Amino acid sequence: MRPPVGLLFLAVLTGVVFLGPFAYVVSRNLDLGTDLGTIIWSADTWEPLRRSLWLGTSVAAASMVIGTGLAWLTIRTDLPGRRLLRVLSPLPLVFPSFVGATALIAAFATGGLVEEILSPIGIDDLPDMTGFRGAWVVLTLFTYPYVYLPVAARLASLSPSLEESARILGRSPWGVFRTVVLPQISGAIWAGALLVFLYTISDWGAVNLLRYDTLTRDIYSDRLFDQPRAMGLSLVLGVVALAVVGAERALHRRRQRIEVVRTRDALTVPLGRWKWPALLGVVVVLGNALVGPVAVFGFWAWRGLRADSDTIGLGTDLGELVEPAVHTAQAGLITAAIAVAVVLPVAWLTARYRSKVGGTANSMVVAGFALPGVVIALSIVFWAIDAPIIQRWYQTFPLLILAYVLHFGAQATRAAQVAVGAVPARLGDAAATLGAGRIRRLFTIELPLMTPGLLAGAGLVMLSTMKELPATKLLAPAGFETLATEIWSAGESGALAQGALASLALVAVSAVLTWAVVLRRLEHY
Amino acid sequence: MTTSLTKSTVRFLAALLALALLATACGDDDSGAADDGGGDGSEGASSITVYSGRDQDLIEPLLDAFTEETGIEVTARYEGSADLALLIQTEGDNSPADVFISQSPGALGLLAGEGRLAPLDSSLTGLVDDGFAASDDTWVGITGRVRVIVYNSELVDPADLPSSVLELTDPVYDGRVGVAPDNGSFQDFVTAMRSELGDDATREWLEGMAANNSPNYPKNSAIVEAVGRGEIPMGLVNHYYNLRALEADSSLPSVNHFLDSGDLGSLVIVTGGAVLESSDAKTEAEQLLAFLLSENAQATFAAETQEYPLLPGVAAPEGLPPLDGYATDTIELSALGEGLTGTIELIRESGLVQ
Repeated sequence: MRPPVGLLFLAVLTGVVFLGPFAYVVSRNLDLGTDLGTIIWSADTWEPLRRSLWLGTSVAAASMVIGTGLAWLTIRTDLPGRRLLRVLSPLPLVFPSFVGATALIAAFATGGLVEEILSPIGIDDLPDMTGFRGAWVVLTLFTYPYVYLPVAARLASLSPSLEESARILGRSPWGVFRTVVLPQISGAIWAGALLVFLYTISDWGAVNLLRYDTLTRDIYSDRLFDQPRAMGLSLVLGVVALAVVGAERALHRRRQRIEVVRTRDALTVPLGRWKWPALLGVVVVLGNALVGPVAVFGFWAWRGLRADSDTIGLGTDLGELVEPAVHTAQAGLITAAIAVAVVLPVAWLTARYRSKVGGTANSMVVAGFALPGVVIALSIVFWAIDAPIIQRWYQTFPLLILAYVLHFGAQATRAAQVAVGAVPARLGDAAATLGAGRIRRLFTIELPLMTPGLLAGAGLVMLSTMKELPATKLLAPAGFETLATEIWSAGESGALAQGALASLALVAVSAVLTWAVVLRRLEHY
Repeated sequence: MTTSLTKSTVRFLAALLALALLATACGDDDSGAADDGGGDGSEGASSITVYSGRDQDLIEPLLDAFTEETGIEVTARYEGSADLALLIQTEGDNSPADVFISQSPGALGLLAGEGRLAPLDSSLTGLVDDGFAASDDTWVGITGRVRVIVYNSELVDPADLPSSVLELTDPVYDGRVGVAPDNGSFQDFVTAMRSELGDDATREWLEGMAANNSPNYPKNSAIVEAVGRGEIPMGLVNHYYNLRALEADSSLPSVNHFLDSGDLGSLVIVTGGAVLESSDAKTEAEQLLAFLLSENAQATFAAETQEYPLLPGVAAPEGLPPLDGYATDTIELSALGEGLTGTIELIRESGLVQ
């Protein structure tokens, strides 16, 4: 079937805009006359690249298990406290990874908080949390929501009929999960895992603080004084990302797509005697990913607030956080809405038609996520600074939003593809034969069915935007401070208490928005 | 299917979005005025734009005082010096920035080498001693930081401390000295060593430090924290990180050890300021740099950040040895920018980075 011309046009347009960062990297390599051959065949490239891939794969694998497990337990079972746990589960995503790493170091390092608590009872041999192990733990704990949200959205919209039949035919609950549920959510799991992988290989905050020498860490340390190498390595990273995106797509295409329209509420699986062990597992994950960091920040803020030190005052410092909090929420909400709207045509094209244009546009959108944030930000500077008309928007809000959308659009695309996959083509065809127009079909049939998936994508974009740093610092209008920039500048000046307070505010704002925008809506589906 | 719920969802999201856009539109007004600063510079600009690689907490009060004194409005953007240098480089002739304040001479040297910095009036560069401004007047030092060895007084006997940084390759320091090889100050220090002792001796020293398994840290403050916790006995840092840590928690056992004056290990690294070649408000921009080198501002730096004022006659921070002992007369600070590429390569090849 040939895709409609309008759709192709939109997809091409999106692809071209998303091509920006990649084209910048290529153009810089040409300008600098980078000796790509030497860079590619050097052991100084292979070793960090190997570490990037190993870390990305390990984090993605762990996130698949944790994200899927949490989603199933909180959405489909009678786990105690599941409504609260649904709100808490996606939140670790909002910690900038340098913040998470800082909290982990403070907790586990020699002489750190955990040792202070445990040494009286004789435990003082803590695991070394630097290097691969630390990076793996931190990134897994703070990225599993990339899997959790799309899978939760998919689980919430599954039809119960297949599962019921399997149950009646005598399958065990585990058997039902493996043979009926898993195949239906595997698309969402892979979508999430791909995002985790791309995030991990582009991350600098955690690997830098925990001292794991990946490709991105090299790009950062070379970015000013060895620009040819930094740009060469960026190109390598981008190409690797494109290859992985392509491979995942090829894999995904061969899988069977199951379209089911839900008619009733999804089944709730009674956990029976597994209820408390399952709860314990969830508590351990959330305890480390959310409660632990929050406790560390709470401790720092409390220490700063104590009467005998006058480093911060709750009233004044919280008051100063109001404006950054409003900016953070604005940026998150607007970027999420625009990102979903922008990538929907590409997602539709790739999920519905076998189209080369769609595939290419999709790769462009998704690969943008693998480039380090500072490269994305500089690419916008590069293209906008002397472009007629656009120039006038330089360092204003709209171009900042564009930077966010270019960086995080990938998160909405994969979720949107899963969402489009949930819409049976035959429904639209039936409506068309009955005389319903394109627009009417979109709003009355397709959008309602896609809402859970689109909201999950929007939620991911929103949380990522709320913690973004490099583009915010380089491209925001002067004086536009967000909670993330507050945390950063507090860290720069060593103001631990203020930084902790801003981190707590970031968690609180994202909890409210995640609940209001994503989860409250998801529950009705 | 629940169509009505979808409608309410769409309506809810639309309302939120409208609200957010509205708030943005309202918020635009206050930044709008400052935005087109710098642009109308020809007949005495009333506003300039500063890119500051130094903390907002520190610089903002000084900028406010400057505006109060001169009536010149200042718009500031805060980010790490390296990223701001990259930004200025990418912006090229269209950069909105007039002034660049940098944590390290390296970033200034790089921009100077690319012709992005305008030569300053010699009355401005003449304010500081010879070694503390670029030889081609493209930037001027504002404050100085001395490299030191920070050590844990519970783990190290002060008598065992070295008098020269070159002694640290001795096997007795195996695994004991924390370094931050990715950090600008460490790279500046290595660049100075190259210009002083040559590449071969520098490589030898770096390889010795690598052979000693010197633990890596991402930045100075992380080394100071690790020494304070007792994770490592000592580390190579700038002098003021420990002073700040002690301000927050005076019970910490971390102590600064100043190496012999004239030793490479006690190199003075300046923070500096420059005016961009592309600026059309160069006079006002220079006014700001002169203000930062005024007695009051210099005394503020000394009191707030424990850094050394570079204006002669302004007292060093309390409890610190005088700066005179740590002259940089043999080290050409302005060469730091151009030398850094080689330095980074040398550090990478030495195996120091873990």
